[in-house]
Amino acid sequence: MSVTNFPAKPATLIEHLGQFIADTLTRCTRCGACFKACPMTGYAPGLPAADAQDVVAGVLGLLRQEAGTADALAWIEACTQSGRCSAACPEGINAMKMMRVARMSALGSLGAPRKIAPREEKGFFRRIGAFSQLQFSADEIEKWQR
Amino acid sequence: MSDKVTFWYGCNVVRHGDIIRAAIALLEAVGVEVTPAGGAGYCCGTAKDANLRAAEGMARRTVEKFNQHGHGAVVTWCPSCHRHMNGFMREYNDPQFSFAHITQILHQRRERLAARLTHRVERRAMLHQHFGFHEVDVNPLIVDLLKLVPGLELVVPDYAAPGHMCSALAPVPRALPDATRATCEAVRAAGADTVVTVFHSCQRLLCGLESTEPFHVVNYVSLLTAAMGIELPDEYKAWKNAGSEEKVMELIGAERIAAAGDRFFREAILPELMRRPQK
Ligand code: SF4
Repeated sequence: MSVTNFPAKPATLIEHLGQFIADTLTRCTRCGACFKACPMTGYAPGLPAADAQDVVAGVLGLLRQEAGTADALAWIEACTQSGRCSAACPEGINAMKMMRVARMSALGSLGAPRKIAPREEKGFFRRIGAFSQLQFSADEIEKWQR
Repeated sequence: MSDKVTFWYGCNVVRHGDIIRAAIALLEAVGVEVTPAGGAGYCCGTAKDANLRAAEGMARRTVEKFNQHGHGAVVTWCPSCHRHMNGFMREYNDPQFSFAHITQILHQRRERLAARLTHRVERRAMLHQHFGFHEVDVNPLIVDLLKLVPGLELVVPDYAAPGHMCSALAPVPRALPDATRATCEAVRAAGADTVVTVFHSCQRLLCGLESTEPFHVVNYVSLLTAAMGIELPDEYKAWKNAGSEEKVMELIGAERIAAAGDRFFREAILPELMRRPQK
């Protein structure tokens, strides 16, 4: 009887990302179908002419906390989470999530140096709080947002 | 899904109190009792990719709060929150609830909803679609729901924008103006008088078009509640199309501005409300 050991449920986000990265690196064949299916490549200079397999190799490099490539970073910056990549992947990889995790790597969140700038809106929560004050009663804020 | 749920509306939708109230009215109309939850205290952490410790803390706190609600079911509004719950939050937390998107619940219970849609809404409306929310195929669900509205002529164009909603396009140069322009062209081709948005960020980023374009921009929940005889004014849209800072401030009123913080309002909120859609 063969025994398959499934990984234990991760206890932290970092553990989960580690499992996702390991699984993706094992299963991805670098076929490039995800890149070819992407509707956003035309928004990054040079990307339409790039080799799909090379761009994916750069993304996988980022998952390994390596330098990645300029084309991989450009693809990550153009990603709008359209999900066409996941639908195109013949291996059933959640390629949209692969791109998101590669973005976390490129942001320096997983140990490697930061390569792209964060997009986080300055004063995001202050803005949410201010609009709540404009749109809701004190009672609604107390009941719905605490 | 049970009849008692947490309705998790998200963060950015707080700009649109009318959307949240309409969504609650619709869920109640189909027999769902809701505990609304949203704003910063229920953030999913999806915007914190550059600070994963913060992302994890927010996600954990939100899942724990939903567990404490004890309903066993969460209904989402925001596609980013839904996606983040599906792809990240539930993976390393212990959620004691199922979750579904509001369109799925309304669609499942559409016969009950139809019985409540008795007021005519005379519009020729075009659906503004995105193709990126693959966790839930919302567009056909919304088409089915809007077909229940008496008097409404619905046009479903070939065009669908990338991303899961308009805010996803904003950071990519040219992407949002392209989608806005394509939407305007599709409305003209459809001869529609109304663009129907699905998500709050599309409503936020497109509603300013009403100042310059010959059509209205209305979220689908507003059309459904209008058909129930409930009119909820879209204040964000009114502010966005007010035309001057003075008029915006007059519409909002000194009391609410003071509650939001006078200085922050002038530095952050007013510039957002004065920004025009680019195309
Ligand atoms: S389509 Fe799937 S297998 Fe092919 S390169 Fe992309 S992620 Fe890897």
